[in-house]
Amino acid sequence: MAAGATKAKVEAFGRPPAMLALLKSPSGTIGLILVAMLVIVAILAPFIAPFDPLRMASGPRLQPPSTAHIFGTDDFGRDVFSRIVFGARLTLQIGTIAVGISLTAGLLIGLVAGYGGGWVERILMRLVDVLFSFTEIVIALACLAIFGIGLTNAMIAIGIASIPFYARVTHSIVLVEKNKPYFEAAVSAGAGHVRLLFHHLLPNVLPTLIVVGTLGVSTAVLAAAGLSFLGLGAQPPAPEWGFMLSSSRDLISRAPWMMIFPGLAIMVTVLGFNLLGDGIREVLDPRQRSR
Amino acid sequence: MTLTRLLTRSVLLAGATLLTLPASAQELVWARYGDIDSLDPHRATSTLSMQVWDQIYDTLLAFDMEGKAGPNLAKSWDLSDDGLTYTFALQEGVLCHDGSPFDANDVKFTVDRALFGDNPSLTKTSWGPIESVTAVDPMTVEFKMASKFGAFLPFLADSFSSMVCDTVDAETFGSSSAIGTGPFKLVEWVKGDTVELEKNPDYKNFGKPVQNDGPVSFDKLIVKTVPEAQTRLAALKTGEVHVAEPPFDDIAAIKEEGELDIVVAENTGQNVFWEFTISRPPFDDVRARQAIAYGTDPQMAIDIIYGGLSQREWCPVAAGVFGNDQEFCKSHGYPYDPEKAKALLGELGYGPDNPLETTMFVWTGGNRHKLAEIFQAQLAQIGVNVGIEIMDIGTMNARVKEQNEMTDSDAPGTFDMMTWGWYDPDILYALWHSPGAYSGFQTPELDAMLEKTRTTIDEEERLKAVQDVIAYLMKNAAHIGLYTPGWEWVFAVRPEVEGFKVGPFLHPMFQDVTISQ
Amino acid sequence: MLRYLLKRILAALVTIWITTIAVTLLIHAVPGDPVRIMYAKFQSTPEQIEEIRQRLGLDQPIWVQYWRYMERLFEGDLGRSIVGDQPVLDILLTRFPPTVALAATSLAIAVIIGMTLGFLAAYRRGTLVDMGAMVVAIVGVSMPHFWLGLLLLFFFALELGWLPVAGSDWRSLILPALTLGLANAAVLARLTRSAMIDIFDQDFVRTAHAKGLPKTLVLYRHALRSGLVPVVAMLGLQFAYLMGGAIVVENVFAWNGVGRLAIEAVFARDYPLIQGFILFFATVVVVVSVIIDVLYAVVDPRIRYS
Repeated sequence: MAAGATKAKVEAFGRPPAMLALLKSPSGTIGLILVAMLVIVAILAPFIAPFDPLRMASGPRLQPPSTAHIFGTDDFGRDVFSRIVFGARLTLQIGTIAVGISLTAGLLIGLVAGYGGGWVERILMRLVDVLFSFTEIVIALACLAIFGIGLTNAMIAIGIASIPFYARVTHSIVLVEKNKPYFEAAVSAGAGHVRLLFHHLLPNVLPTLIVVGTLGVSTAVLAAAGLSFLGLGAQPPAPEWGFMLSSSRDLISRAPWMMIFPGLAIMVTVLGFNLLGDGIREVLDPRQRSR
Repeated sequence: MTLTRLLTRSVLLAGATLLTLPASAQELVWARYGDIDSLDPHRATSTLSMQVWDQIYDTLLAFDMEGKAGPNLAKSWDLSDDGLTYTFALQEGVLCHDGSPFDANDVKFTVDRALFGDNPSLTKTSWGPIESVTAVDPMTVEFKMASKFGAFLPFLADSFSSMVCDTVDAETFGSSSAIGTGPFKLVEWVKGDTVELEKNPDYKNFGKPVQNDGPVSFDKLIVKTVPEAQTRLAALKTGEVHVAEPPFDDIAAIKEEGELDIVVAENTGQNVFWEFTISRPPFDDVRARQAIAYGTDPQMAIDIIYGGLSQREWCPVAAGVFGNDQEFCKSHGYPYDPEKAKALLGELGYGPDNPLETTMFVWTGGNRHKLAEIFQAQLAQIGVNVGIEIMDIGTMNARVKEQNEMTDSDAPGTFDMMTWGWYDPDILYALWHSPGAYSGFQTPELDAMLEKTRTTIDEEERLKAVQDVIAYLMKNAAHIGLYTPGWEWVFAVRPEVEGFKVGPFLHPMFQDVTISQ
Repeated sequence: MLRYLLKRILAALVTIWITTIAVTLLIHAVPGDPVRIMYAKFQSTPEQIEEIRQRLGLDQPIWVQYWRYMERLFEGDLGRSIVGDQPVLDILLTRFPPTVALAATSLAIAVIIGMTLGFLAAYRRGTLVDMGAMVVAIVGVSMPHFWLGLLLLFFFALELGWLPVAGSDWRSLILPALTLGLANAAVLARLTRSAMIDIFDQDFVRTAHAKGLPKTLVLYRHALRSGLVPVVAMLGLQFAYLMGGAIVVENVFAWNGVGRLAIEAVFARDYPLIQGFILFFATVVVVVSVIIDVLYAVVDPRIRYS
């Protein structure tokens, strides 16, 4: 959203001192810890989870939290804690794939539009504006209507839905970079299109986009959980958090733990990425940090 | 209940009583998980739609509590000696909701519209080989058949043959207007939310199995869409809703509390069954289909999910339907036997290193996706990796057909938990006679056997013909019964509502209902 | 001003025009034969399918199809739904008012709670109030709508029994509006805080302070009014975000709006309805954002209509 505001501030980021500065901001530190925890849980899932997340009758059905099942069991007697632990893997996968798609495509469109200028720019950016006004969820729904439902398709749909945002950010950075002396020098030195695009512009655009992408993970995770909750994303027996929440709906009064823990997991993850994003922004924008 | 809850509840109740005027119209609110698709009985096939048509329209014949078709709007009928001409004598003095008399022209209008219009009924085939309908005089109507049709009379008692009055407005009929002769008139349909019906003061019952043959005792029937089972239960408890399907996992607790009555429909005619994409691997081989049947345990699944509200059904037509015989079907059936399933898969070259990969379709609602998850886990144990796709029933019908038509696809064929509720084994004709509802399993042999179930009128001979078909379908593992009933058959009813009844083949009846204050 | 207005409207029209092309193409992007997928109902024969294809004009070249689509569009005809065979526009129009009611109520809740919180945080910058408000806000931003909805449903409707759960009257609006409103309040609180901080730091506020004007007066006269301008500008974006959220929240509470309709349509692969929904939704979002932009331009004379 605040694409214009971010662009100038982000340039410094990516260098080690900035990373250290991140740890000085409380929200950045908490965010970093939460995200690191998510990654560790995802990697070590088989060692952390006491049960097979898919095994039915790991315990009695609809068992409230106990020492054997700290988050209780679901209506098939599966261990909710183990499912949440393995769900972390899916969540990370969703975040990286969706952001990967939107980032790559958005970067290309933004680069070509910003560099090309003229009618190329006008048409591309007009299209991006149109897509932007559709809102992300409607684009995602349209994609799912075309591809059919399922978790993979949901990841792709979310990725596509965010392309306009990344294209806008890239475009605005390119416009700034194009007027900088180093670029003008390269142009007058007779560098070719490919060299100008990939050797000069790309390295200067990429750091900002990586930061924006990190922030985008939280949006992607929320959106994917939402689609799965609606039944359009993950399908059984996937231990996907949004899907787990939706299976808890018929049982909220019988087994509230089935609803509480997956929701907490989503919230903590999104909170982690949001805090990390805030921390980064503070580092990049000293004016704000001083407040 | 905590003290605060009790207090707030009483305050709310007091407020509600003050607001409700004693002389106000008596309303009965019936909440269901989904809405009707159409008010037009030719434009939808869902149970949700049919149960509302039952309130607005009436049928020429009606099922008694045993599920046999008898007189209703038609007081008697004759069949010509060649078995091709049916002549019905209609009841006199029946009025349509707009006040016009119901007569032979309305019958002709309905049938012509269903069969010969440019947008025929979705269940056209099930009307049978009707050639023409003639209004002989206002109270006599004649149907001419191209060939004998054994399932004609039961069809005339089913909601798909609902009689529509010829005074309907063609433009708005089905979406905002409807005229029939049933116990309720349409007031308004707010799509996705409510169907508001009011009592038809001129209603007369002739053949439905109810005590009260006159108009219903209350003023309005509000059919409301409330998708969440928990929400329906909460609304039942607060009294916002009078009749609704409760969440399955709460039924034991509801029975224990004793506040709400649980009504379980019997003889619903509903059949839930395995059905396969037979046109390509892996299910083009009968052994793969049999492996799925041997490898799944429906009894265990329904015990977990429905806790005794459903029963194992071995036949391709449900209990209560002509031709159903558990012993006969079981002798041709596939009892749970994972070892046998593994052996069959082994013969086909599948094993731990080469699992069979496939996808199961299942339709939303009624906890069917949870049954599917149990089957998925059972099949994993015999080395079959199953993905589950959940969709609504209309989509599933289309997708299954599409799968069968994708003969040259490299993707593995799918299988599905298909469901049909029908009043007669003629459903087997609709499903499996060429070209087939799903273009799946067809053979000339089967076609001939199915023809025979239609053209045989003598009951004993027809039973033989039907059972031949059943045995053939089961031997070929094309249609494998799992359980019955399957959807929208459990109702929780508020204590002040008495006389709510569900007839055979899942026709809810409000004629005898009284609401006490 | 007039030029700005015309430019804005023209851009909106182009957007809607491109949307019509996109929805016409949508059906052709579906793998397989769309007619067969949509109309292969129980007992339909290949001949019937062909007949439907001709009736819908899907056997024609794509530009002819587009032309016909536009012709019908100008007559207010968005086609007929597959499920129930009804005019798409009728369905959308009956399901739209509940969505408007939900969006408007939520926006009111979001504005009242969000702006108050953001303003307080900025006013007491650096204190515990500020920290508390911002912690609440960031947790709120991170909370999935649907989970918040389930929690509210669980506590207020099921456990406490305070609110009706199945109605379509105003009392049933409370929980969904609160869910959507609170989630958006969190976003607004953050926006308001940073906008107000910018204002507080500006010279004219400091000057007013220095002149010894009472603090509250400074706040009302100067800071609040100018601080609100950028926040109001954000309402346009906020509205689109809110409409997106409504799609999910409507499904949690079975609120009978276009959002629930859209999900039903995707499940049923009811393409005419999906096409109609996308066109309708995009039009609403575009029109509202034009109105907000124009109002903003009227309110804030500093905008140059470039």
